[in-house]
Formats: sequence, C-alpha cells, structure tokens
Amino acid sequence: MPRNDSLEMGELTDTSYYILLSLVEAKHGYLIMKTIEVMTSNQFSIGPASMYTTIKKLLSAKLIKLCDEENDKKKTYVATDKGIELLKKEVQRRKEMIKHAEEILNRKGGL
Amino acid sequence: MKQTKYIMSGGIAFSEEKDLEKLSNYAKKGWILDRFALFGYKLKKAEPQEIQYSMDFQPDADEEYFMYFEEAGWSHTCSIGNEIHIFSASTKAKPIYSDNATIIEKYEREKKQMGKAALITLTISIMFLLFNIMSLYGWLPEYIGNISEILLIISIIILVFPGLPYIAYLYRLNKLRKF
Repeated sequence: MPRNDSLEMGELTDTSYYILLSLVEAKHGYLIMKTIEVMTSNQFSIGPASMYTTIKKLLSAKLIKLCDEENDKKKTYVATDKGIELLKKEVQRRKEMIKHAEEILNRKGGL
Repeated sequence: MKQTKYIMSGGIAFSEEKDLEKLSNYAKKGWILDRFALFGYKLKKAEPQEIQYSMDFQPDADEEYFMYFEEAGWSHTCSIGNEIHIFSASTKAKPIYSDNATIIEKYEREKKQMGKAALITLTISIMFLLFNIMSLYGWLPEYIGNISEILLIISIIILVFPGLPYIAYLYRLNKLRKF
C-alpha cells in the first residue's frame, strides 16, 4: 500500500504548516481558520473537513496539545515543543527550497 | 401537492459528486435535502435556493467537527449513523477539503470501513462454502450442505454491497495518489 504520509517523513503539508504556525500561541480551534486567512490575506484558506482531519493528526503526532486550563466547551490548542521544533526544521527546509529556485531562476534572468 | 420527494442515489461510492449535483439542482427547483433514505434521499418542499452540497466520511464526529463547518459557513443537513455527513452552504462557500492529503484520508477512512464489512462477509461466505464441501464428502449430513449452499449464495449477494464500494474507493485513491 503506497503511503505518502508527510508527517511520518518529518515534513509538514501546507495545511499542517499553517495550523502549527497559528498555534505557536494557544488558540480556540474555531479561531484557527480565521487566523490563517488573516495571516495570509486570504491567499490560503483551510476547509473545515481538512481542518478537523489535520488537527486530529497533529494531536496524535503530539505536535499540538489540548490546553485544559479552562473548562470551556470550545477546545483550545497549542503547539508542543516537538511541534515548534518541527516547524523550525520545516522553515529551514522551505528556505533551502526557495534558495535553490532563486539560484537557478536568477541565472535565467531573475525572478 | 406532495411535500416530500424521494430520489435514488447512484451509490455513494460510485456517484458521490453526481448525487450532490443532482441535490443542488433540486434545491434550485425548491426541493431541499431533508435526510438520507434507503438507497437514496428524501427531499422536502421549500423555497427555491442556490445551494451546494458536500459529503464527508467521519466516524464518531463530535461537537468540534460540526463547529468547524458552521464556522466556515457550512450547515449540517443530515447524517447516517454518525459516519456519513452531508453539509450545505451558499454557492460562495469554499470547499470543505482544501488539500489533497486530507482528501486522500477521507477516502482511506471510508475504504477501511467498507473493507472491514467486506472481510466479515467474505469470512462468513468461506465458512458456508466449507460446510458445503464437508457435506459433499459426507463429513456433515446432507441437509447442512443444502442449507449452507443457500446461505452461501445469500452471503455472496450481501458481499457485493461493501465489496464493490471497496473496489471503487481503491480505484479513486489510486487516481488521487497519481500526482
């Protein structure tokens, strides 16, 4: 069975990347989608089904966790140390990817 | 004039998109989806409206799940056994799945459910087949052989219901993974 689970390969999909990024500070689940739209000026938005699936996935990979400080019905999430660590690695990886493209495209007459 | 209408489903595994489009066309004519019915959908009379429908597979969907949909402008219309859910929204609402990775997971979930059901039915079919063979060899009385032959045919007919959807999801997932 071909699996392309990027989390298990230590890479983040765009969706996990933005969810994790918006959870560097604790946030109500329902605020995450809005936060990402504002952060990216509506360039990137996550559908509710993708959101729910990805949140569950990040939880089970222990990249985010539930904050239980309030007994509010609306769940609050925050990135774990492991999550932040992976996010930093991912930023580095994506920086490298951009650098590679820039090097080649600059030789072709710039971006 | 009748206030409800029944329409047939082409089978969720085979014509999910077509079914949803059909529902959305009915909504334009003033028939909105009320609930799932046997092999189809029950519609009810309402104001004609421009809405789109989406379907999701999510066993054990909780409050949080439905909240995300509400937040994104999708309202919950109906479900079967808290597993298959239909949502509706204005035609301006964004799709409920925004990336390929989670779409693959949607169909993986449903494939797994169908696979489980198919495997159980298959096991039962094989058991009846064995009884049948054993009675042919005289290890079991003949009447047990006759009964298991009938049960074998019935279980094979039942096997089609999760079996074909399982193959359909397998095929769909293969296509989704090809890029």
